[in-house]
Amino acid sequence: MGDRKGARLGDPSQSQQQPGGALLRAYHLKKSYGQGGFAIADLGFEVGAGELVFVTGPSGAGKTTLLRLLFGAERPSSGQAIVLGRNVGRLGEAAIRVLRRRIGFVFQDFKLLPRRSVEENVAMPLEVVGTPRQETRRRVFAILKRLGLEKRRQRSPLSLSGGEQQRVAIARALVGEPAILLADEPTGNLDAEYTLEIMDWLADVAAHGTAVLVATHDANLVERSGARVLELAKGRLVADTKAGER
Amino acid sequence: MSRLVTYCGIGLRTAFRGIRRSAGAALATVLTIGLTLWVIGVFVLVGANMRALLEGLGEQIPVVAFFAEPVGEATALEWVRRAEALEGVDAVVYVSQEAALARFRNQVGGEELLEGVEGNPLPASLEVSLGAEARAEASALRVAEALRGFEAIGDVQHGDDWLVGYTRALAVVDAIRWTLGVVLGLAALLVVSSTVRLGAYARRDEIEILALVGASRSFVRGPFWIEGFLEGMAGGVLALCLLALAFGLLRVPEGGGFEMLLGQVPPRFLDPMESLSLVAAGAFLGLIGAVLAVAGPRR
Repeated sequence: MGDRKGARLGDPSQSQQQPGGALLRAYHLKKSYGQGGFAIADLGFEVGAGELVFVTGPSGAGKTTLLRLLFGAERPSSGQAIVLGRNVGRLGEAAIRVLRRRIGFVFQDFKLLPRRSVEENVAMPLEVVGTPRQETRRRVFAILKRLGLEKRRQRSPLSLSGGEQQRVAIARALVGEPAILLADEPTGNLDAEYTLEIMDWLADVAAHGTAVLVATHDANLVERSGARVLELAKGRLVADTKAGER
Repeated sequence: MSRLVTYCGIGLRTAFRGIRRSAGAALATVLTIGLTLWVIGVFVLVGANMRALLEGLGEQIPVVAFFAEPVGEATALEWVRRAEALEGVDAVVYVSQEAALARFRNQVGGEELLEGVEGNPLPASLEVSLGAEARAEASALRVAEALRGFEAIGDVQHGDDWLVGYTRALAVVDAIRWTLGVVLGLAALLVVSSTVRLGAYARRDEIEILALVGASRSFVRGPFWIEGFLEGMAGGVLALCLLALAFGLLRVPEGGGFEMLLGQVPPRFLDPMESLSLVAAGAFLGLIGAVLAVAGPRR
């Protein structure tokens, strides 16, 4: 059940080392839906390994669209989204799926399967690449332990609190040791206590070498983190504030 | 290789999970395929037994001349000699009324059939075997015609008429089997395809997430294929069991059922290869139904 077409395209991890270490690059990236104007208009930026970057802006600014473009869930109208050295807009579906194996994505609505246990939910990215069962169990247990969920691993996600479900979603995004982590409003459903906890985890992930791009409209959170911020308004990049410049 | 084993293990686990989750749809698939194959299997079985009878009797069916009236043994032997003198005749056996009755009871076990019948209703006859060179239809007809010319003979039957009718009946059974096979097979495919598609729809959230974490199309579809294959195989086994049950019921009481139809040729069930083919046909139907159900673009 492997993907031979994808395999022929090569492991994206082999082509991810760009000069300067940028894992994500956007060049004049645009996305429009019919005559409704641009959801993303002429974006350009780079994100390197180990960088934690917030994408901020009001609702409708284009944060989610940008993440979807980088993830290959949408095709750009023009410009380029280069992810791990691959031009996402020009990849076929099979190649995009292969690329996604190197990208972790944390969804605002968690996207956990209620009929599968926490352990089974987290194991999904490892299963799709054919990781042996014992190895899968070992790695799932390790990441759940790191996130303080090892005692909840046999339970249904539905029986967990919002913060715990979000941690399960993060565990699933991280278990495959992705080069890039994209998170769309990962704290949108959480109270302040859980929000800080999740943000500490994301910073920790970045500290371990993963490029982390977090879309959020929570200005306080961004302020507190001191990380780099890409500020969008009506699909345009209005500010790119480097870490420590604020 | 080990990765393939891992994928197979994941596929099987996911397929069994899917079957448990959509038990109703899975049961519908198994029943549909089971009943479809059972109906087809009935005609396969009937055809196989008819063919066995044909092979068992082969070319041994003699020309039989029935006496119009009861005759004494001396008279009968005179007609035996005259029949033996006909061209192409190899041997002639006189079967008295008593011998015919005893044979009927012995072969058919029809004691109860004769209840209420007074005397011996069976006529005496001459069973005329043809020489090997005279077994062509034209020779048999010529001998039958000559026997009809004997004053003491009331009726002549020869196997060719019976064989032609029987072979036609066998062809009809085969035609029904193929027609039903195609029609019911297509109907079963439709049902299987629909139930698998329903199962896929019920698991659309899982399919979506699998796509998001980078699962290939075959990884997503594989468990559905396995599901269809397993359910089809179960349907094949069900058909085989129902067929065995029906076969067992038709064999009882002794002397009834198949024995009535087949005479001395013992009825037979499907041989191992035919049984295996039935189960394989179920698995194939299930697999194709599942492949059709989850074909097409799925992001």
